[in-house]
Order: sequence, then C-alpha cells, then structure tokens
Amino acid sequence: MDLQQTATAPAPRGGDGSNGAVPPFERIVADYGPLISRIATSYEADPTLREDLTQQIFLAVWQALPSWRGDSSLKTFIARVAQNRSISFVTKQVRQPRLAELPERLEADTLNPEEEAIEMNEREMLLAATRRLPLPQREVIILVLEGFSYGEIAQMLEIAPNALALRLSRAKAALKSMLEQGQ
Amino acid sequence: MTDFDLDRLGDVWRQQPDPAEMERLRRSAIAVARRARLGAIVDVVAAIAVAAVVILLVVANPKLQTMVMGSGAILVLLGSNIRLRRLRRIELKGLTGTTEEMLDQSIARVETTLRHHKFTLYATPPLFLATWLGFMMAAAPRPDSIFGSLRATPWFRMSLMAAGFAAVVGLAIYLIISIRRGRRELERLNAMRQAYREEGDAPAR
Repeated sequence: MDLQQTATAPAPRGGDGSNGAVPPFERIVADYGPLISRIATSYEADPTLREDLTQQIFLAVWQALPSWRGDSSLKTFIARVAQNRSISFVTKQVRQPRLAELPERLEADTLNPEEEAIEMNEREMLLAATRRLPLPQREVIILVLEGFSYGEIAQMLEIAPNALALRLSRAKAALKSMLEQGQ
Repeated sequence: MTDFDLDRLGDVWRQQPDPAEMERLRRSAIAVARRARLGAIVDVVAAIAVAAVVILLVVANPKLQTMVMGSGAILVLLGSNIRLRRLRRIELKGLTGTTEEMLDQSIARVETTLRHHKFTLYATPPLFLATWLGFMMAAAPRPDSIFGSLRATPWFRMSLMAAGFAAVVGLAIYLIISIRRGRRELERLNAMRQAYREEGDAPAR
C-alpha cells in the first residue's frame, strides 16, 4: 500500500455503504461488535474489566452516534470512539493493565484443531505484544491490523502522512522484536 | 512468526468471535442501550416532576417567600440541567476527537477535580467549626419545643458533635483517597501525553 497516496485520499463518505444514515443500534452491534470486542481486548487483559470496558464502549457509541455526520465511514467513527474510551478507561485504572490473557474463542469451522491451536497461540502472542506497545504506536498498529487504510488512519488521528509512516515503522519494529522474543 | 507481514497478522487479528460470543456481545450492547435510554427518560421525567411539585407548592401557597424559594429551586434545577448537558457535550467531544484532544480534556478534567477536592478538604474543618459555634451561640429555641428540649440534653449535643465530627473525618478520608487517585491518574495522563510529544507527530491541520 502506497502510504503517501492513500494517506492524502479522503475516506469515502459513509464508506461502509451507509450513505451517512445512522443504522439501527442492533445492526451496528452485529456489524461492529467484533471490532469493538477486539479493541477492548487490546487494551484490557483482565476478563472482568474487559467486559466492563466493552459495555462502556457500547454506551459511548450509543451516545456519540447522533453526532456522526457521515464525513468519515461509520467503521472509522466507531473505531475512534472505541479507542478513545479504551484509553480513558485504562488511565483510570490505578494499576497497569495486566498482561495475562485468557484464550479467545475462535471460529472452528475453517480450521482443524491443530491449525486452530497454532493460530490461537499466534493471536495470543500478537495481543500480548500489542498491549506492551507505547500508546501512540499501539493505536496505529491496532488500526492497521483492523484493516483501515493509511488514509483513514491519518484522518482519524489527524496526523500528517509522514508522521504516520514514522510512527508505524517504529510500531512495526517494536512489535516484530517482541514477537520474535516471544517465540 | 519470523516473517513480519502485517497483512497476514491482520488476518490472525481479525478472527471473528463464535456465534455464542457474538450473541453475548449483542445482549450486552442491547442491555446497555436500554439502560441508557431509560436513564435519559428518567432524567427528563424527574426534572418535570420536581418542577411540577415546586410550581404546585407555590400555587397552593402564593406568598412572596414561597415564590422566591420556588423560583430559586427551579433556577437550581435548570442550572444543574444546563451544566449536565455541557458536561455531556464535552465528554462527547472527547470521545469523537483525536486521542491527543481526549488526553488534553482528561488532564483538564482531573486537574479541576483535584482543585475542587483540595478546596473542599481545606474548607470543611473550619466550616464545620464555624457551623458548630453558630449552633452553640444561636438564640436558644423555646424550651418547650422538641428541639429546645433536645438541645438542653447533654447527650444530644455530644451525639450531634460526634456525628458531625465523624462525617468530617469520613469526608476528609474520602477526599485524601480521591486526591491520591487523581494524582496517579494525572501522572499517567501526562505520561501518555508526553509519549505523543515524543513521537514528534506533526499535526495534519
């Protein structure tokens, strides 16, 4: 993906096909529930606190939805709200977020048990490594892993494309080092 | 995991939850939305009910004193509603803005809360003493009234003093804990803010 090109291109209006109209909350949960759950998981390892954080994100999305004007895709809007709520949640915790992680359940119909175990282990390692990244780098890596284009990320974080490239390269280097150490 | 391919890692990352997990998420989200909707309705109904009661009291007893008190109560209600809405707007801006804007707002919020807590902590003991002195020096109520006879009883005065003292101590402990917690939160927020500055990001604007 060419960073310079994609970073300057504005995200399509209502890029998720919603054309700026707010879909019903149930539909949002069905479409973006997994995204919200993954963002919560990448900020909070404790299952009880994570459940609390997920509920807080749903509430934040519910409260913020009327202010969505369709100038970015709904997915981008929800990811931004989820990230901001997660960060404020983590700062309110007196302790540092724990790194212990319970296995996430995965879809079983596409993988055999062996492949599933390998992938689950890989995912756990990835989650644990992501949680150890400094906040600005973690934010960028999560959005890249979620499949946002560099243009959308630069727009969401309101940073220049070259600053995004710099931050992303630092995040990739740190993540790579952690994943290699964790092998 | 030796080859570092973000696209492949993205596939690992974006594993969909199983149907049971999705159902749990759905139920949780719907319950949250229902509670929020109910909370909003209760807020409006409560404000209308309080205003209606105040107006009824004023209409039933149309004296200058009740009118002044009623108007005061409605103004306080209106003021607290406006303040609540303003706070919600600020919170919403923090949710939908950039992370740095959110951090700046959070730092400002924690600093304001800390200032309020410190002021309350330092102001409460002298205020309590002043109230107590005022109570002791105030003209004694008629001895045949309930309050007058209670005030004349030593154990009542002692109990009142002890209860007031316990309340002040309890409040002070709560404030000290809150101040410590607030300072820790402020340290973390400032550290996060610093982490952004160290990234050296040039704003796109």
